[in-house]
Amino acid sequence: MKYISKTKLLAVVLVAFTIQACNKEEQVVAPTIANEALTTVSVIVTNTLAPFDKDTATWEQLLDANGYPLPVDVSKVDLTLKANATYTAELVLLDKSQSPVFNVSNEIKERANYHLFFYQSLPSMSAFVIPYTSGDVLPDPIPTNASTTATVSSNALNLTVSITDHDSNPQVYPLGLQSSFVTGANSTGWLRLMLRHQPNSKNGTYTPGSTDLDVGFNVTIQ
Amino acid sequence: MKFFYTASMSMLFCYGHLYAQVNTDKCSFTLSGKVYSGETHQNLSSVSVEIKELNKGMATNDSGVYHLNFICAGSYTVQYSHVGHKTFTCTLHIQGNHSQDVTMHFDTCSIHEILIVKRRGNDSVPLIQPQEQIKGKELDKTRGLSLGESLKSLAGVYTIQTGPSISKPVIHGLHSNRILILNNGIRQEGQQWGSEHAPEIDPFIATNLIVVKGAASIRYGSDAIGGVILVEPKKMRINPGIGGEINLVGMSNGYAGTSSAMLDGAFGKKFSGLSWRVQGTYKRSGNSRTAYYYMDNTASKEINYSATLAYTKKNYGAELYYSSFFTQLGIFSGTHAEAVSDILSAIKRDKPLTPDVFTYTIDRPYQLVQHNLFKAKAYYKSEKLGRFELTFASQQNERSEYGYIPFTGKLNPELYLRIQTQTLDGIWEHKSFKNIKGSIGFNGITQGNVRKYEFLIPNFRNYGGGILWIEKWQKNRWSIEGGIRYDYRWMRVYMLDNTTAQVITPTYHYENFTIAAGAEYRLTEKMSISANFSTAWKAPTVNELFSKGVHQSAASYEIGNSNLVPEHAYNFNSEIKYSNKNFVLNFGAYHNIIINYTYLKPDLIAIHTIRGSFPAFSYTQANVVFTGVDVKAEYTLHKITFTTKTSYIYAYNNSIHDFLIYAPSNRIDNSIKYEIGKIGKLQKVSLGISNLNVAKQNNVPANSDFALPPAGYVLLGANINFDFLIGKQVVSVDFSVNNMLNKSYRDYLNRFRYFTDDLGRNFVLRIKVPFEFSKHNTNNN
Repeated sequence: MKYISKTKLLAVVLVAFTIQACNKEEQVVAPTIANEALTTVSVIVTNTLAPFDKDTATWEQLLDANGYPLPVDVSKVDLTLKANATYTAELVLLDKSQSPVFNVSNEIKERANYHLFFYQSLPSMSAFVIPYTSGDVLPDPIPTNASTTATVSSNALNLTVSITDHDSNPQVYPLGLQSSFVTGANSTGWLRLMLRHQPNSKNGTYTPGSTDLDVGFNVTIQ
Repeated sequence: MKFFYTASMSMLFCYGHLYAQVNTDKCSFTLSGKVYSGETHQNLSSVSVEIKELNKGMATNDSGVYHLNFICAGSYTVQYSHVGHKTFTCTLHIQGNHSQDVTMHFDTCSIHEILIVKRRGNDSVPLIQPQEQIKGKELDKTRGLSLGESLKSLAGVYTIQTGPSISKPVIHGLHSNRILILNNGIRQEGQQWGSEHAPEIDPFIATNLIVVKGAASIRYGSDAIGGVILVEPKKMRINPGIGGEINLVGMSNGYAGTSSAMLDGAFGKKFSGLSWRVQGTYKRSGNSRTAYYYMDNTASKEINYSATLAYTKKNYGAELYYSSFFTQLGIFSGTHAEAVSDILSAIKRDKPLTPDVFTYTIDRPYQLVQHNLFKAKAYYKSEKLGRFELTFASQQNERSEYGYIPFTGKLNPELYLRIQTQTLDGIWEHKSFKNIKGSIGFNGITQGNVRKYEFLIPNFRNYGGGILWIEKWQKNRWSIEGGIRYDYRWMRVYMLDNTTAQVITPTYHYENFTIAAGAEYRLTEKMSISANFSTAWKAPTVNELFSKGVHQSAASYEIGNSNLVPEHAYNFNSEIKYSNKNFVLNFGAYHNIIINYTYLKPDLIAIHTIRGSFPAFSYTQANVVFTGVDVKAEYTLHKITFTTKTSYIYAYNNSIHDFLIYAPSNRIDNSIKYEIGKIGKLQKVSLGISNLNVAKQNNVPANSDFALPPAGYVLLGANINFDFLIGKQVVSVDFSVNNMLNKSYRDYLNRFRYFTDDLGRNFVLRIKVPFEFSKHNTNNN
């Protein structure tokens, strides 16, 4: 008697699970939503003395339908600046994988206490802002040999970047969405732009945290 | 009150041989011997042997051997007692060193039921294949550790780790989808796509962990190229009454605490045959500590429970089982390296930059994993035909991985995967005739996976089926075994086309035969030699076919290959076993040839993404070999036992004529155990020290890693364990220290070795309280 009722129970359970097995949930494909997607980085520079002297360079890497990165688009990465001039520079970071396009720079501004941008002119005569480790690979379009220090000043890119905006940490560390580009004599080279993610560890230096963004631009000073 | 067994006294039958040696010192004799089971003819371990008059006793070791020293000449009453067996008492006249072998029989009250249960235990493992188990005191010493960590004391078993909280077992160099784990008889189907996905099993459900080394697909299904791990719960209770066990574990490292309780009962009279068990475990750990600093965000918690209801009769029975496993694991924040530049700078640092503080708080990034298992089993035993068993199981594994809060401020996980699996297994063990025993069976499986958020693996559905036939012939000194198996597997993937964004459904099917053959010859009572050949195959898994993108915390860009073909393993195993009264030797050698072995090959090029550059790794197939030797030797001198275990492995990639990446390091594990016996009120006092030597892995392919393999290391450990009585309640205590010298070291198979040292010193206190409320108790002391 006892046994029979248990067999029945077992049968009911078996049927229940078989029905569950026929559930075809996997046929509905959820879209890929990458939490930290970032596709487009633009640097917009404006000459402080001539507001019509503006230039924009854009580094872009779009994603395919499954969220895989497509090849980097380096067709718009050229930035042209006048010699011996001062520019205000602004970064615009977008996530074009979302619809509507999501403005990431606004979010970074809100989380300024966790983020810090670094600008590295290459080739450089002075100490590196972004340390170079042997074996590291530089972002497109910067060639790897650009990371070695320029030996003669005529090879160096005469561009000095200083960050002008700040976070709300008590120590008021720089952020880097806004900056000032000061150029020297005619030269060509590259600008490496890096965003460091430093949750609860930002101290104004490069070291803590991890890299959220690492892109490059061609720079011509003429 | 007497624990672990019902003490029904029985008539004695002593058949051991006596040999007297004239000895002038009348109090230096030894009583020793071996205890066998009268039913299974195997050695019986943990049998309590006691000389009543001297109040002197000990338990038999794994080989069933016991030794009692410093006995004066005279007549003594010696009592042998063991769970589920008739207590055996005999009178011995000691006039010299005395050897007394004993055969113990099942308790008549429950003999039939025990026989049924016992049969399962033996037949669920193929006979002729190297296998080892951890149970009893050895298992007690691993309480509070994860499954992977519990097994790594066995020769030939290693672990691959992702920080202190994630550990996966490695058998003979193979892991993840190449090892089958049977959780209470059910093929564990979790998310096994990376080394950071640990088996979702509570080791407290087990009273026996068995590792079958080498390809063992024939009985358990395809994929078991490396081996099989059987997580075997305690047999269901038979004697009416209620019993149970409480385990408490405290660890100094991470200030970790684990409590686990089990309660089981069986009914008598009208409901005879009906039994139940409930079990639960709660585990909490704070940040773990290396020799010199805390690892930030390595806290974890785990909540597990299970329930069983069984009905057991002589010829039929059924069982329902449900278990739930939940864990939340912090991922060491110092490993949040995204690109090559981060990982290179992390390697250059001696110590991570993360805060060196202790906390129980689990912060981002972390993993949440929930695994539920339901199982229903029924069997019927026919006198004419044999035994039939049918098992249905349904399991769901839900995994959410949380990263840092993104730019968008969204709180959802980065990755969500849910895999649901239903399995149906049937086996017929036919009645033995002319020394031949065997079984015919089938396995069926269907599985669906659903993903959300980031893309690691696509949605898929698969169906698989297998049929098997194994026969075993046993006569005199010979045992010969052979088997054949056929498997079919169908898989359909649901994903978006890269450009059109329409759903596409690539479909794959695979079929293959598996064979196994083995022979064992007993040269003498003490020595046997065996050899085994088996094949196994593994269909490409979805991650091997379709991954594409950055595997975080691995700082690698992994590229799947949708044209992969199944891999095939040809596995040779041989074992020599010798055991006498005080010396046990197991020598095993293996050679595993794998054709089309799928692995991540470094492409030595970097993939540029907006987050930086990542080294590319492609899923590639190669012909590889794993060759190795596992040795375990144990020598007992009076109360002192010396044990040494050696695991040697050599892995080579024949396709590129270079070493195979991520092969475990060779190691030797030595230990000395001193069984003191009784000290004051403490019983079964035993002291031990251990020394683990892990060599540096020098056999690595060139240009394939960010950093060279770390140096070898030596770890020392010590432990003391004893039992004592509180009233009539037995309490077992084990106190141990691991990495006693607080050595700072890194292991080649720990994926976080680029970022941090491994665990520092750890003091562990384990308390076990078994209890019993049985009407049949008799106090015979």
